[in-house]
Amino acid sequence: MIAGITGLGRFGGFLATLVVASVTHRPPIRSTFEEAYRIGVRSLPILLTISVFVGTNLSVQGYNAFAPLGGQRLIGMFVALAGVRELAPIMVAAMVAAKAGTEMASQIAVMRIRQQIDALEVMSINPHWYLVTPRLFGIVLVLPALTVLSVFALVTASWLVAIFQLGLNGQQFIEYASSTTRLVDLWYCMVKAFAFGITICVVSCYYGFQSSPGPSGVGSATNAAVVSSAVACAVSNYLLSRVLYG
Amino acid sequence: MSSGGVIAGIGRFGIFAGHVVWRSLTPPWELHEFSRHLWQVTTRCVLPVCATVAPLGMVMALQGLKIFELFGAQQLLSSLVSVAVFRELSPVLASVLVAAQGGSSFAAELGAMRIKEELDATEVMAVDSLRIHVVPRFLAAVVATPLLNLAGSLAGIAGGWLSAVVFEGESSGQFLSNLWRLTQPIDLVGGTIKTLVFGALVGLISCYQGFHATGGAAGVGKAVNDTVVYAATTFIVANYFLTSALFGAIGG
Repeated sequence: MIAGITGLGRFGGFLATLVVASVTHRPPIRSTFEEAYRIGVRSLPILLTISVFVGTNLSVQGYNAFAPLGGQRLIGMFVALAGVRELAPIMVAAMVAAKAGTEMASQIAVMRIRQQIDALEVMSINPHWYLVTPRLFGIVLVLPALTVLSVFALVTASWLVAIFQLGLNGQQFIEYASSTTRLVDLWYCMVKAFAFGITICVVSCYYGFQSSPGPSGVGSATNAAVVSSAVACAVSNYLLSRVLYG
Repeated sequence: MSSGGVIAGIGRFGIFAGHVVWRSLTPPWELHEFSRHLWQVTTRCVLPVCATVAPLGMVMALQGLKIFELFGAQQLLSSLVSVAVFRELSPVLASVLVAAQGGSSFAAELGAMRIKEELDATEVMAVDSLRIHVVPRFLAAVVATPLLNLAGSLAGIAGGWLSAVVFEGESSGQFLSNLWRLTQPIDLVGGTIKTLVFGALVGLISCYQGFHATGGAAGVGKAVNDTVVYAATTFIVANYFLTSALFGAIGG
């Protein structure tokens, strides 16, 4: 209990330092783009794989749910709404937390245990600004774009499954999908991605900074980072859905 | 990594998996280690699993209500939530969280043992390190994942109830009486089969990554990272095939 409250306080302190560091210093443009490239391009293949298979699964399950009621036509609507509003943002967030988030946590944790962060402070370089700010700006820059790409892959894959595995009418699928999804849904999807990007980066970097020494310290920091950011994303997803669609 | 490297990696993983599965089917078993790991994984994962599945059940109810209101079919809401939670949401999310929490701690523990040359030390003493370190963890993951899936399913339905009844003001009696209308025993069995497969995958992938960690503390971090990414990707790919096989949907 006490440890939980202490941890919350420490997290608040980390957040405050980070915000002050990001606002008062010149934005690190060059390293921001490097991080954006690293996060975006290196997560892309895995994200597309995930999105394709989430899409195919969505079609199969939608068919199972709607076919007994005679509503096969509605699969397009179901896939587009479920994919754009909920599944794509949260799946992308979970995978980016698992890939880029754990990478941030373990990189920073290794710097911490090799005392490189102390070395930065000795050289009077603010470690929060130097290490966290570029990652934060980078992830915020690329995550909405990744989410939109994933929506595209998801809907395409489920369209293909609807035609080739389920034998439905592809034209009808597209009509239902595009008539129920509005442009604002896509904007909301990007708003969610933006919020998840901030959450993942701040939580992962926090655990990296708090790492205890030794190889097992790095391992458990990485572990805590991915679990906490997944839970934080799931909870904030509910709150965001409630505000945006409720 | 070149394509040759990928194929070699898959081969190495296959040999490792063969060794582990063979040793878990033949005695002697390290029952004490197994129960210790089972207890650890279950207690460490149960909170994250519930804390992730419950909000998604809440979202499910929230979004489902919006759609069912269009057709005036709000009474179907709880049936939808329970089918979705039992078939898809809980098995996949519980397994991803087991990979993130339990699997990554397996990888971290084994990786740290490898880096500190403790695994080499056990082998020098002619003790089979696969049998005493890897098999108990693998079996613990296989047993724990279905149990955590059940906990997650209950949490998801509780989340759906909370969202529909408390926040959106649906009738609680209607929610509870329609809860099992579309849910068949096959959904529960299917979810359990899925999570057995996913649990075996988590156990194998995490132990493989930890067992073959190289390069100091950074190597352990990388092993943990790779565990989560590879495990989650394999689940989602395997999930599509399992769904097609278990709940069958080959249209005509």
